[in-house]
Amino acid sequence: MIFRQFLSIRKAGVLGMNRRNTEYIMRHNRRSSFPLVDDKLLTKQLALKHGIPTPPLYHVVSHHGDIAGLERAIVDRQEFVLKPARGGGGSGIILITDRRDGKFVTQSGKVISRDEIRYHISDILSGIYSLEGLEDKAVIEALIHPDQVFGRVTYEGVPDVRIIVYRGVPAMAMVRLPTRQSDGKANLHRGAVGVGIDIGKGKTLDGVRRSGSITHHPDTGELLRDIEVPFWERMLLMAAQSMDMTGLGYLGVDLVIDRKDGPLLLELNARPGLQIQIANRKGLLERLEMIDRAPEEIFLSPEKRIAWATQNFAEASS
Amino acid sequence: MKRPGLWLAAVLFLVSFSLIGYRVFRLGYPLLPTFPAKTWGLTMEIFFEPAGTSGKEIEIRAGLPESRSGQTVIEQRDLSGSLQFNLMPEGLNQIGVWSGDTEEGGVLNYRATVLLNPKRLAKPKPPGPESFPAIVADKSEQVLARRLVERYASLKPPEKLKTLTATAKGIWGEPTPDDNDLKQWSAIQKKYGPEKALLTLLRVADFPVRRVQGFVLTERIATQPDRWISVWTGQKWEHIQLEAGDLYPESLCFIPLMIGDAPLVSVSGGKLQEVRWSLSKQTLSQWRSHFERIQRSTRFLDRWSLFTLPNQFQESFRILLLVPLGVLMISVLRNIVGFPTFGIFMPVLMALAFRSTGLGYGLGIFAGVVSIGYLLRRGIDRLRLLLVPRLSFLITFVILAFTVSALIGSKFGIREFMAVGLLPFVILSMTIERFFILIEESGASQAIRTAAGSAAVAAITYKILEIDPLQLTFFVYPELLLAIMGLLLLLGNYSGYRLSEILRFKILGEKS
Repeated sequence: MIFRQFLSIRKAGVLGMNRRNTEYIMRHNRRSSFPLVDDKLLTKQLALKHGIPTPPLYHVVSHHGDIAGLERAIVDRQEFVLKPARGGGGSGIILITDRRDGKFVTQSGKVISRDEIRYHISDILSGIYSLEGLEDKAVIEALIHPDQVFGRVTYEGVPDVRIIVYRGVPAMAMVRLPTRQSDGKANLHRGAVGVGIDIGKGKTLDGVRRSGSITHHPDTGELLRDIEVPFWERMLLMAAQSMDMTGLGYLGVDLVIDRKDGPLLLELNARPGLQIQIANRKGLLERLEMIDRAPEEIFLSPEKRIAWATQNFAEASS
Repeated sequence: MKRPGLWLAAVLFLVSFSLIGYRVFRLGYPLLPTFPAKTWGLTMEIFFEPAGTSGKEIEIRAGLPESRSGQTVIEQRDLSGSLQFNLMPEGLNQIGVWSGDTEEGGVLNYRATVLLNPKRLAKPKPPGPESFPAIVADKSEQVLARRLVERYASLKPPEKLKTLTATAKGIWGEPTPDDNDLKQWSAIQKKYGPEKALLTLLRVADFPVRRVQGFVLTERIATQPDRWISVWTGQKWEHIQLEAGDLYPESLCFIPLMIGDAPLVSVSGGKLQEVRWSLSKQTLSQWRSHFERIQRSTRFLDRWSLFTLPNQFQESFRILLLVPLGVLMISVLRNIVGFPTFGIFMPVLMALAFRSTGLGYGLGIFAGVVSIGYLLRRGIDRLRLLLVPRLSFLITFVILAFTVSALIGSKFGIREFMAVGLLPFVILSMTIERFFILIEESGASQAIRTAAGSAAVAAITYKILEIDPLQLTFFVYPELLLAIMGLLLLLGNYSGYRLSEILRFKILGEKS
């Protein structure tokens, strides 16, 4: 019984946690490159060098004494994002969308004082949100105004696009849509919806929420399928270039689409989750093995890699 | 081969198994050291004083343990020296007789090691021809006893025994005898004492009975033996606790020393001052006697055995050697089954701590401390404490919780509550912190699932660590650690699915 199910998910080409760790992450991601993606600040600098756009940086607070310097940086900002440089899983991020009587209004409508901002930064600096509990930096950058393409299927917050890139080839993609439960955050483990994206056509497929498959957004009730993702080619290219930029062979690339600036690189992830397979109703292993069998010459340039991917990973039209 | 890890694992297995093979075939170790580990040490000290007149021999007689079904005396020693020591079987008993000429008082020192083997318990033997305790009551009292017993004639022996035993507490089952009989009987109980009264009832009811002196096995030092009545019900012996008038539960183990009415220790030609028995569980002593040869041996592997360590260090190694087994379990449960746990090694430390608190109490204390700690953590969240002082605050709370628990334990005599000091407090504090963060970030259901996963892993690991033969095997063959390293290498190379992933990705498997 168990053995049959074992075989059936193997046949579906599902990538499991053990194989992801031993054969993809450990084999293709050098430990020395991990800091490049674990620290959002380093990723930003690297992207800048490679001409990949990221949300504009306002200020970095790197030690407790500098909290005063922060005052100057945000004194006349109407809106901004405050996040830890090494935070994981979306923790410790505050989105400020407005100002009222010298106080700050967060995205969920809560009003917080300047003191509370300062406390939060002090928390970030002492490493509360950082992955290993190390000392951290607080990053203040521009707030994203998401393109309205996902407006109908988003409850507050900013939807982001996750692309798994293997050896520089985009292998699988999804868009993560915030829900009421996820508190406007785009993290699946907080209850956001993941919707697969057809790599070939740049169109959305069905969705997943907490391991269960869904077809409509739980809060807005709108259909998830067949939304055309704008700038798709450009996003694929940005994802493919992330490999050249970091040297990481197995990578999760998170992008957002800004209303004004178009697609921006939000962050990179050296240990991307496996939930994307359920969002796509497709096993990732199958695609990774296809990429390993692809002709050598496609690995020469990012353009060739995405051309190969769009050709091979298009869903059969139904 | 594409994985050098497999070669290394194979080498480790080979080294480990050839060392074991050498021990087994060349040094004659038992292949399966699954000897029952439960042996009890019984020591008896008799303090005596000779009668003043010189030239008179002193003779001291004492009931000693004897090999019988389910119990083997594997070693016994007389350590006194000044008197001559002889063993004399006498009826159902084994009597030790010390005799000699001595001017001054002294102390006799006897030590026995008894191996309990409930598995080898032969079918209980019915009583043979032997003298049953005399009925003390006179004729008219016996008539009364008969009348009382006859009311229960229809009951089967085991129930009849239970009913009669309860009368010692003054509880009379249905049908109740009339008040006059009861009044007379309680007068008899007062006259002869409850023990003799009960014996009379049992004898009148035709139960074969024995009066026994000996010990119920618990670790202690005693100056008086336990006394109980053994009753044959037709299938087995039941034992009656005299003070409480209750049957002893069947799971208890006894060492009988003297069956019958004779005193357990008697002295002629002298005066008995005090007798002291001490009982202790000796898990390894049986092995030690088995391996006494090892200690004298000059063979390399014999000299490099853990048995050559002093006793107190052996104990710590017995626990230490279990840790690799525990982490192997964790690796299996996490990477093959896919249990979510707080931290990687927290469950192993919990499992080790459960060895002193017991599983039920351990899990209960764990759940209690984490949930109270969680509430506390929520309370102090508003205070916005920095990371290090906050964690230190939690650790201090955990220690406080331990202290309170120990004090409650000592108040109510619950040993397990006092053993909390061995729970890994740092790990518990981190667990509270992680539990809080997980609830904040992923919701209560995920956090509770992880907590349940940790508890399950700790419980499973504990159950495995509790297997005594396994502990002993590791102690005898420490080279098994190499085999565990090999297994861990293999596990580290496992890239197949976890059992939990079958559930998680079921939807994908169904599609194709």
